[in-house]
Parts: sequence; C-alpha cells; structure tokens
Amino acid sequence: MLMIRAIIRPEKVGIVLSELSDGGFPAVTKMDVMGRGKQRGVKVGDVIYDEIPKEMLMIVVNDEDKDDAIKIIMKNAKTGQKAAFGDGKIFVSPVDEVYTISSGSNEL
Amino acid sequence: MKEVIAIIRMNMINKTKEALLREGFPALSANKVLGRGKKKVDFSFIENMLSGDEMSTVNEFTSPVIAEALTEGQRLIPKRMLSIVARDDEIKTIVDVIISVNQQGKPGDGKIFVMPVLDCVRVRTGETGELAL
Repeated sequence: MLMIRAIIRPEKVGIVLSELSDGGFPAVTKMDVMGRGKQRGVKVGDVIYDEIPKEMLMIVVNDEDKDDAIKIIMKNAKTGQKAAFGDGKIFVSPVDEVYTISSGSNEL
Repeated sequence: MKEVIAIIRMNMINKTKEALLREGFPALSANKVLGRGKKKVDFSFIENMLSGDEMSTVNEFTSPVIAEALTEGQRLIPKRMLSIVARDDEIKTIVDVIISVNQQGKPGDGKIFVMPVLDCVRVRTGETGELAL
C-alpha cells in the first residue's frame, strides 16, 4: 500500500476531491498547511510571502491504483492549460499496515 | 522505526491519549483534519435540521454553524489525526490500544496507517536513530 500526499492550491480542492470520488477514491483526508517551494515563496513588490497557504490531501491506495490517483490529481490541480508555479507537489511513501478501527480488519 | 498515523473521532482524543499514556506512550502529535471515508455519509438529516424540519428534535444542541460546515462544500467530516513514532516492536501495542479504545463498531471510527521511518533526530542533543525516540 502507498500513501499519496498531495499539496495543492486551496481553490483546487473542490474539483480534485469530486474527481477523486468519481474516479473511485472516496476516502481522503485533508488538512491545511503552509509552505513554500523552490521559488522561495511569492514576491509582491518588496514583500516576500514564504508561507503560502495550501491544502494537503492524504490518500492511501493499493500499489496498482497509485498511477490512477496521481493522474486524477495532476489533471485537476493544474491551473490553466500551461499550469503554473505553486500548483503543488505529490509525494508517495510506503505504508506497511492499515487497520480499520470499526471492524479491526487490516485491509484497506 | 515506524510511524503510526491514526485518524479517529474528534471526541475520542482524550480517551486515546490517556490509554496510550497508561501503556507508556506519552509522545504524540495531534492534528485536526477533515476527511471522508469509503462509505457515503447521509447528510440528509442535517439538511433537515437546517431547513427547520419540525420532525427533528436534535435542533437544540446542534450548532447551525457545524451543520452548515458539514453540508456545504466537499462534505468532509472533522477528525483528529494522531502521529506516533515508535520502535518496530512497540507498534503492535500502540495499534491494539488505539483500536480497543476507539472501536464502536460503526463506520467512521477511523483508520490506522503504519509507515516506515528511516531516521529520527533529537534537535536538543543531535542524537539520531532509536536513541532520539
């Protein structure tokens, strides 16, 4: 199993979440985060904003579903045709075990 | 070294913390998150409350703000996320404690993910590895 952590623009959360659930990934956890990227934040005039609000989506999927989920996020989190800096990042990390508390089962 | 990420009900955080402390795991990070699971949530009764349906008696103690937050937008449910990093041999105890405290047998009780952690550094002393846990 793999955990996909996607950091995306807050205004893209709606479309990404609805497309994910249409694409067969209903289970998602979302949290507010602040961060900066390689561009060192956003410079407006003399002020540099290096803590830009973003949303982090956390999805745990079976190995074979990883590409599907990432494709859906990539497609919908982009701004415009060309995409722009700040559209976000996706990280994938391994998950050893999963437990569902209500049933105690260790399957996704 | 492994990390246990548990997503549990909002009101279970204190019980879970106490139970973990009793088992000897005082260290944890907690976060408020929003999420949804595999099961579709039936929001119709909340919508009835919002629309002032006479049938619903829960109106008095449910804040309209919460109800609105639940029904609007992406329909995500507030949850607590705990993150605990521990030695490999301690993981089973932690998982068992969290399950035994949080299990009500209903959907929405939460999920537990166990993930590998490669290294850990204590900022105060610069110790690394299991010493720093």
